[in-house]
Amino acid sequence: MLKSSSVSIAKNRLRALVVSDRVQCTPSVYDHICRDLYQTLSKYVELTEDDFQVEINRSQIVIRIAGEET
Amino acid sequence: MGEVIVITSGKGGVGKTTTTANVGAGLSKLGKKVVIIDTDLGLRNLDVVMGMENLVVYNLVDVVTGGCRLKQALIRDSRYENLYLLPSAQTKDKSAVSPEQMKKLTSELKEEFDYILLDCPAGIEQGFQNAIAGADRALVVTTPEVSSIRDADRIIGLLEQNQIRKIDLIINRIRMDMVKRGDMMSVDDVTEILSVPLIGILPDDEQVVIGTNQGEPVIGLDSTAGKGYLNICKRILGLEVPYINLDTGKGFFSRISHAFKKN
Repeated sequence: MLKSSSVSIAKNRLRALVVSDRVQCTPSVYDHICRDLYQTLSKYVELTEDDFQVEINRSQIVIRIAGEET
Repeated sequence: MGEVIVITSGKGGVGKTTTTANVGAGLSKLGKKVVIIDTDLGLRNLDVVMGMENLVVYNLVDVVTGGCRLKQALIRDSRYENLYLLPSAQTKDKSAVSPEQMKKLTSELKEEFDYILLDCPAGIEQGFQNAIAGADRALVVTTPEVSSIRDADRIIGLLEQNQIRKIDLIINRIRMDMVKRGDMMSVDDVTEILSVPLIGILPDDEQVVIGTNQGEPVIGLDSTAGKGYLNICKRILGLEVPYINLDTGKGFFSRISHAFKKN
């Protein structure tokens, strides 16, 4: 299916909006959260930035590090 | 013991009232005893969509404040067996009803009705809190637009916080021609972002406008929206119904080619 037009723009805007609504802050704060979590965790766990991913859902914040996914 | 379902969306104008009217009429067509309640204080609309505005004597505020008995305020729909309407008030005071009063009212109605449908006002203020107070489950209505999906996400979060465990999504006003061009989000795009179970998809069907003009639900009519609403009703009852193919939603040809497709 063609998705070159306005839908991809809508989805990207929506993803950013929904995340900032969920953590009640601007999208830039999301980046801060990610960085802080990364720095904290990297003290205890061996991490690389490429392997580290934070996903904010309505009821949970999911932190993914490589090798942990099933 | 009946089930209390709140129909909500956050954003206004996405089809809550139309959905309440049609799901109410549909469930009663399927043999259930149903009451539909307009909880939008100050902006009474459900009676108009149902074409019952001339029958309103008492309203929701009269019932909860003891101004009349519950039975007096329930208006029976002469077109559908076992369908009743409890209209809202046109008063401006939005605090005339409290969540506790709504809980008491819905638990009373549960004794007598199979389904109690609450048409929720737009927004997340007191009217919303009232509407969800006694609800067992929720139908969240959205359209495939950024603002409406964003509001739906917030509403779903609030419903989850309020311990409403069963939340299903209705995507309204889909235009397949635009989806194909890549200018409207598809059903999959919307469900991917909202991640709640889907219970219905509805096309942007002009029959709905015509029905609202006439004060008639579209549920019985041979229209794509009418079929879509009937399918939602069946799914509420727990039946497995394949999703209609909205791609055939135009003209005479679509009516003879019932192409059903699992979406």
